[in-house]
Amino acid sequence: MMIIMKTSASQEELENVLASVKGLKLHPHRISGSERNVIGVVGDGRPIEPSNFIRLPGVASVIPISKPYKLASREFYPENTLIPIGDHVVGNGTPTIIGGPCAVESRDQILEVAKAVKEAGAHALRGGAFKPRTSPYSFQGMGEDGLKLLAEARDLTGLPIVTEVTSPDLVPLVADYAEVLQIGARNMQNYALLKAAGQTNRTVLLKRGMSATINDLLMAAEYILAQGNQNVILCERGIRTFETATRNTTDINAIPVLQAQTHLPVILDPSHSTGHWEYVSALARSGIAAGADGIIVEVHPDPACALSDGAQSLKPRRFKRLVKQVNAIANALKAEDISTNPLQ
Amino acid sequence: MLIIMRTSATKADVENVVARVKSFDLDAHLSDGAERTVIGVVGDGRPVEKSLFIRLPGVDNIVPISKSYKLASREFYPKNSLVPIGENRVGNGSAIIIGGPCAVENREQLLEAAQAVKDAGAHALRGGAYKPRTSPYSFQGMGEDGLKLLAEARDLTGLPIVTEIISPELVPLVADYADVLQIGARNMQNYSLLKAAGLTQRTILLKRGMSATISDFLMAAEYILSKGNQNVILCERGIRTFETATRNTTDINAIPVLKSLTHLPVMLDPSHSTGDWRFVSSLARSGIAAGADGLVIEVHPDPANALSDGAQSLKPKRFAELVNQVNIIANAMKAANITALPEG
Repeated sequence: MMIIMKTSASQEELENVLASVKGLKLHPHRISGSERNVIGVVGDGRPIEPSNFIRLPGVASVIPISKPYKLASREFYPENTLIPIGDHVVGNGTPTIIGGPCAVESRDQILEVAKAVKEAGAHALRGGAFKPRTSPYSFQGMGEDGLKLLAEARDLTGLPIVTEVTSPDLVPLVADYAEVLQIGARNMQNYALLKAAGQTNRTVLLKRGMSATINDLLMAAEYILAQGNQNVILCERGIRTFETATRNTTDINAIPVLQAQTHLPVILDPSHSTGHWEYVSALARSGIAAGADGIIVEVHPDPACALSDGAQSLKPRRFKRLVKQVNAIANALKAEDISTNPLQ
Repeated sequence: MLIIMRTSATKADVENVVARVKSFDLDAHLSDGAERTVIGVVGDGRPVEKSLFIRLPGVDNIVPISKSYKLASREFYPKNSLVPIGENRVGNGSAIIIGGPCAVENREQLLEAAQAVKDAGAHALRGGAYKPRTSPYSFQGMGEDGLKLLAEARDLTGLPIVTEIISPELVPLVADYADVLQIGARNMQNYSLLKAAGLTQRTILLKRGMSATISDFLMAAEYILSKGNQNVILCERGIRTFETATRNTTDINAIPVLKSLTHLPVMLDPSHSTGDWRFVSSLARSGIAAGADGLVIEVHPDPANALSDGAQSLKPKRFAELVNQVNIIANAMKAANITALPEG
């Protein structure tokens, strides 16, 4: 951490800050510039609270240097972590494709989609039984009945199940039915939920909050890892910006940035990150080309009548085409031995 | 245009609005809902000013329906416009790559960069002679001496020249030396500059403003087109968001959105959109996979000593790798018959 002194700071104020640093058993390194003093604070790797220093007289600002996340960082674990989804492994260089409806609506609907995404080449089935909807008047999901239908769809197709948990008390129930617990964008900083998910041994699909920085996302992952669950997949799903032409703005930069900063796999949700089915395939291709470990895509047999996210859901036929396009990109990169890891 | 009346609007309020609509020789179509009245305004295609109605008593809100750009819209010209850069045509399905330094710094630097980008397979050379820098104390560019060096680099390599104009009175001078006039992000809404560029016959590379919506961007292109210059290339270069891990946030959604809204070619500048050389290749691949017609990339023989944008500039060797990767993606897309146009 660096403590930047004001140009007007007195010698006494400087010495007071140095004494405070030493008082916390940390080592101060003083750098005297032509205009002001800067104090480097060196510790033993434990996090140092900026609030210990920011209010001292003569201090202009405090700049953290160390990253606040540890277990999630690539410095902590330099290899790519491989994460299981059923028998499938995420992060091994082959794109993982998760497909399915936004919400489980009925037995017919979920079984039809499950068969369609399986046939198209998906590795897992998504579908929400507990839905966090913006409006309290919108369809809130089928609850445990939906989980039972998801289990039936798994029995039918063999596809592992990805479904959302919206509350800590639901975690054991959902973990009974699903291979992967999804924590949605709205709950990325629901710390009680993160801790509860961290205490299971289920793979957790953690979506980026719509106004969360990349650093915030990694800190949320750190909550899960710190509870002992190492199986976390990160998902970019678009952020809130001033642009209104699309539902969200896909922060495609986040793909290589995350891969530089963490060993955890990173996937893209082009359905939510655009909000329009017309753009989903282009974004799916771009995510894989940028180096994403997979994609999660909304598929519905009859989007016009979907109870949620109809505008961004693909029909099964379109989804099949998307899978082909994504594989064409991935295979071309592999054939030419192009690593999608960011340069160092 | 739709005029939404308040739930509390009286019959007299509605009649007053209808009379106002008719006074402009427009037709009013009334829909009486359970809660409120909506008035559809139908004209002859000319833009209708919403300010003529928004202040009338009982009016809640006004929703425009028609797009405010005409010449730039795909409805106006359904095919892809092919825009020349030297002998190449941007928009014909091949990835066009423009490479070169942020700024022309000296003869040796520019000629070395020019030869390197030519050898790597670039189609044009970029380099700024007039630089719009955030700080008035930063290097402002070499001016006409820089233009002369660019002309020399073209003579040496055969590469057409892309360089920035920052003021209307400089347009004739820069047009004398360059094949493509770039209008930078900071000048996207410099309307006198847009008009001056529209009065030339040079190809214009128009970069998106850092807080411009896609609609603002197309309106800026409309300024150039409406002056008679049809050769406009759009360039996404990242927008300003809350994320600070990267210099800007690449709005990759803008690629397929623009391809669907306009016939003009669309390029991506991953150097500015990330601000970090480590992420430029990932983003270049993702841009082409999303359907971009080309790329603008900063290349410097010695980034550590560049006078501007060193952090995001690639060394020539890395640039050659990038060109190879981009071509692999472009070829895979061609082989799999994937068109840049979004589905729909």
